[in-house]
Amino acid sequence: MKIDRRSFLSYTTAAVLGGTAGSMLTPAPWKLIDDAAIWTQNWPWTPVPEDGEVTYKKSVCTLCPGGCGITVRLVNGRPIKIEGSKEYPVNKGSLCPMGISGLQYLYGPSRVTSPLKREGKRGEGKWKKVSWDEALAAVTKKLSELRATGRSQSVVCLTGSDRGTIPNLIDRFLTVYGSPNFIRSSTAQDAIEQAIYLTQGKQGTPIFDIENANFILSFGSGILDGWGSPGRLFNLYGGLKPTKTIIQIEPRLSDTAAMANQWVGINPGTETALALGLAHVIIKKSLYDKNFVENFAFGFDDWTDEDGKTHDGFSTMVKNFTPEKVAQITGIDKTEIVSLARNFARASKPIAINGRGQGDVPGSIDESLAVQSLNALVGNINKPGGISAIPDSNYAKWPEVTIDEVASKGRQQPRIDGAGSEQFPNTRFLLNRLPEILNKTKDESPVQALLVTAANPLYTLPDTASTKKAFDRIPFIVSFSPYMDETAAYADYILPNHSYLERLQEVPTDAGISRQVIGLAKPVVQPIYDTKHVGDSFILIAKALGGFISNAFPWNNYEGFLKETLKDQWRELNRKGMIEIENNTPEPLAYTFNTVSGKFEFYPTARNTAQPKNRSALPSYTPVPIEGDIQRFQLVLIPYDTIRLASNNIANSPFMTKTIDDTVLKKQTGMVEINPTTARGLGLKEGSTALLTTPKGKATVKIHLFEGIMPGLIAIPKGLGHTAYNKFLANKGTNFNDLIGPIEDPGSGLDMAWGIRAKLIRI
Amino acid sequence: MSSTDQNQTVSPKAEPEAAPDPIHHGPETNDSPPAKSSGWAVFLFFMIGFAGSLLSGWILFPELLYSKKSQPIDFNHALHLDEVSDGCESCHYFRDDGSFSGMPDLGSCIDCHEEAQSDDPEEIKFVDEYVTPGIEVPWLNHSKQPDCVFFSHSAHVMGADMSCESCHGDIGTSEHTRVYEENKLTGYSRDIWGHSISRLGKPEAGTPRPMKMNDCAKCHEEETGHKGACFQCHK
Amino acid sequence: MKEKNDYKQAKRYGMVIDLDKCTGCGACMVGCYSENNVPFKADETNKLDSINWIRIFKITNDKPYPETETCYIPMPCMQCDGVGKHGHPPCVSVCPAVATDYDYDTGIISQIYTRCFGCRYCMAACPYHARKFNWWDPVWPADMEKYLNPKVSPRMRGVVEKCSFCFHRYQQARDKAYLEKREELAENEYQTACAEACPTGAITFGDLNNKNHAVYKLKNSPKAFRLLERLNTNPKVYYLTSKKWVRRAGDNYLTHEEPGKIKNNMKEHH
Repeated sequence: MKIDRRSFLSYTTAAVLGGTAGSMLTPAPWKLIDDAAIWTQNWPWTPVPEDGEVTYKKSVCTLCPGGCGITVRLVNGRPIKIEGSKEYPVNKGSLCPMGISGLQYLYGPSRVTSPLKREGKRGEGKWKKVSWDEALAAVTKKLSELRATGRSQSVVCLTGSDRGTIPNLIDRFLTVYGSPNFIRSSTAQDAIEQAIYLTQGKQGTPIFDIENANFILSFGSGILDGWGSPGRLFNLYGGLKPTKTIIQIEPRLSDTAAMANQWVGINPGTETALALGLAHVIIKKSLYDKNFVENFAFGFDDWTDEDGKTHDGFSTMVKNFTPEKVAQITGIDKTEIVSLARNFARASKPIAINGRGQGDVPGSIDESLAVQSLNALVGNINKPGGISAIPDSNYAKWPEVTIDEVASKGRQQPRIDGAGSEQFPNTRFLLNRLPEILNKTKDESPVQALLVTAANPLYTLPDTASTKKAFDRIPFIVSFSPYMDETAAYADYILPNHSYLERLQEVPTDAGISRQVIGLAKPVVQPIYDTKHVGDSFILIAKALGGFISNAFPWNNYEGFLKETLKDQWRELNRKGMIEIENNTPEPLAYTFNTVSGKFEFYPTARNTAQPKNRSALPSYTPVPIEGDIQRFQLVLIPYDTIRLASNNIANSPFMTKTIDDTVLKKQTGMVEINPTTARGLGLKEGSTALLTTPKGKATVKIHLFEGIMPGLIAIPKGLGHTAYNKFLANKGTNFNDLIGPIEDPGSGLDMAWGIRAKLIRI
Repeated sequence: MSSTDQNQTVSPKAEPEAAPDPIHHGPETNDSPPAKSSGWAVFLFFMIGFAGSLLSGWILFPELLYSKKSQPIDFNHALHLDEVSDGCESCHYFRDDGSFSGMPDLGSCIDCHEEAQSDDPEEIKFVDEYVTPGIEVPWLNHSKQPDCVFFSHSAHVMGADMSCESCHGDIGTSEHTRVYEENKLTGYSRDIWGHSISRLGKPEAGTPRPMKMNDCAKCHEEETGHKGACFQCHK
Repeated sequence: MKEKNDYKQAKRYGMVIDLDKCTGCGACMVGCYSENNVPFKADETNKLDSINWIRIFKITNDKPYPETETCYIPMPCMQCDGVGKHGHPPCVSVCPAVATDYDYDTGIISQIYTRCFGCRYCMAACPYHARKFNWWDPVWPADMEKYLNPKVSPRMRGVVEKCSFCFHRYQQARDKAYLEKREELAENEYQTACAEACPTGAITFGDLNNKNHAVYKLKNSPKAFRLLERLNTNPKVYYLTSKKWVRRAGDNYLTHEEPGKIKNNMKEHH
């Protein structure tokens, strides 16, 4: 048989056809189709999370000072979800978006995974991984050098809080080391606690018993925008009975204002005038608590001092604040003011609160005093539904320290920030003053070493540019941040702390006026990176410094320190995860005050009245001089807070940023809100791009038209415009602090800026 | 169908191979003379292709499709079943939340096997390579379902009172682990498709049941009257 | 497509969202992301390609300052029962792959990622924009893959996903019930992640057919309404509001029409 081309083709075709026909009768093609389909369903790069036994661990969230109880769900020991803990008395199961997205901080791309030493220029982002021994030795060497040359007071420790054992451990370190410069980041708490100190003579953390109040008069406090403990307040709001009333006073319809029973639009920065105007009406209509005012208060009526000089009392002073005048200042209708005052005073349990937005900026002492006076007028001090202050860390006891001469000398030096000085006698911390002081000093910088923990001043301090300049003057910056935040990115050494889910820490919080809750944040996982508890780092540095410093830290680690400070409370705390401490609140009307007069002082005698010269100690209204020439800058820029944006030391998680509306952020550009009528005058439309300029800086923004903002204002969200962290957050929108500078309250030194003049030009 | 069957069916048809040429050698064709493709030859080649593909499809294909692996330890189920009091559930138990523990972890084994109890080389290997260093045994799971599947042991064992054997066969009485066959394309165990490549007929008694979605649906339809909605078994 | 009207409809899980209590905080969204392995990417500001199983919309009454009011509307999948509650929601009817179906036991609409081939007909059919398409493979940076929930399958590029009413939680609750030889689930045994996450308790979840569940009573409240009710999609997500303008925004009402007073011409016949 010969095979030519043609028959070859025929036979081959026949064989192929035969093969095809045959294979149809085999499982191969059908099985392959099925398998191929399955193959496309299981790509190797699509993760398959490992399943296993589900367990739960309870802890306390420390991402903000709110101190909410959390329940962490784990699968095979791997944390997969955070939910609010229903049994925890502070938040009762409620949690904010930040708390829920906590695992993104634990596992996220912003973690500093080992100690780092700066390689390039500051902030350049070039790092060298170093061992813990090397990093701790470097810090010890620097501190020991400064101490040896008599400059121990030039070491500044900056923390986010002064409550709890970690800040206390750091303060103890500074005490034996020899520096008075322990600085807490400022918040509205500073102004409020000072007002409480001035009127009641009581130093401590302010508490607002919103749980038991039924008429909440909020001077711009974003109680549903992240003010105070968000978990606690959201939970409270959810359980509100219709008989409770919330009045929100602010120039922009915030989420709190939207949910309030009444929103009162007010000219920004005039809250003090309104508070005094309400006081006027309450006194004039004789609606105040006469028992309290007559028996337990001082300075309500005119009084004569030892020298025979007569002083105006509170009731005389507020006579200036007639509804007509206040209406003019605040832009609120006269009748509205009268009815507000009436409703407030007639409510059975009214409370007035302040601290704008999330309460990040202290505001003026006058404002806090005026609000305290309103509360006093309705007799709402130290009783359920009222306000009070609890002493700091009264539950922890630790052994006294012995200090050497160097420490004693250093400790007696004046504080660098001026807090507690003659000028600002009642202020404890003044971080906002630090940049200016550093930038003004011609000689050697008064800060030779800055140790930062739980704070991010390069993002949160107003006037970022000058803060950066000031930091350039500090020769040695150490960050203990677990995350690569702006300050860590600008440090010389990073000694990363454990993230909050890997860290042991007791967390003091408030759940209303009558009890303090001490929670225990227990590690839910072993540290996943090469990090160290900040308390352990300080103990190790203290030990390495030797002598009295070492002696003051006999503990092996922070855990040992914590157990000893808590003494017999430790066991209960460890077992139950929290302890509740009843506050020694005086019975209603058994008012005791530690003031000079022994009464609640409408006229705060302890107040520094030197600035402005010979002013009355009574709260008064003088407009905060906001920066900018009205001719050049015809609009006013104010910040706003939302619970979806974290503007404090810990920034947004990717999940939080994902929730942000496209009217707040569009690609990388931040959006500002203006009233449509204002926009019309400027030729701006929804989505227009514009250049926002203030005396401090400029930024490109997009326009979002919003009827709910007072014409003439621009509102910008806080919490955007990061330069550090990760690609899910960095370079998105504008940091409000790039556009504003601090304005010092003459009496307290605290920052009282609420806005800045600005202009918008279409580009 | 077994391989001997195929050989029998193929061989008689191969016979015409000798004869095709002369039969269809007709003068009618106008093509170049020396050889013309005859119908018989075409048929012959057709049958060669046909038979070849049948052979490879039924015999070679399954061999090529699956790779064979053996378990890290040759586990003796029968031996363990004698020792425990609660049958299969002694080791493959339900957790309190209703989830099924599946393959036991070292924690379950360590009570008895902290040290080797016999001279059995497999047990010594288990202790030395896994228990002592604390490494979980990477057992190969014959019944492993893909991630999109939610299979409720609770619903079947507790809800429908099914026995373990009704799906997993008599693995509980086996003395040795069997070869694990892994589909090279999908990574699935051969047990999921079923041991029979044709999926025809019922699996022999004592062998595990096939566990593809159709198998689930078929049984559900028989037992409950409907196949069930997607979310009943998917996640 | 199979049609199973013959067996009894045991449960109709649904949700009632009290808009008077919703502060727009976003906890439901974040709770959902983290429960359901919802991915995220560097830029999430284009909401058309941003995957959300529940998304909060903000609406205003458009009145000038200071008469302005705003309201947040959280929108999960509405889990529509379809016309006449026959289990034919708009999306299920158009799916050519049976990648989404109606579960007559629970009333929940499934989405099976391994079955979906990404034609996106269902997205076009859904009047609520509840469905989202995976234009990219999800990426969890750094060590974030470790927090993925094994009870929910991570998705791949090219498939549609949507809210499942946390059906995996139902599966887990059923598991426990089977173990304890129970037929019924207690109300609190099966709750969605968003309902649990809501810090003000604005979201209530339960069986709309069960008289003892909170949603049963709430859905009959005079304050209750559903979105685009007149499309007869029969959503199982109800909203409560005391504000008239919010209710008006819930459907395309003509100026003379009064929400709540219009007879729905095809309403709930069976």
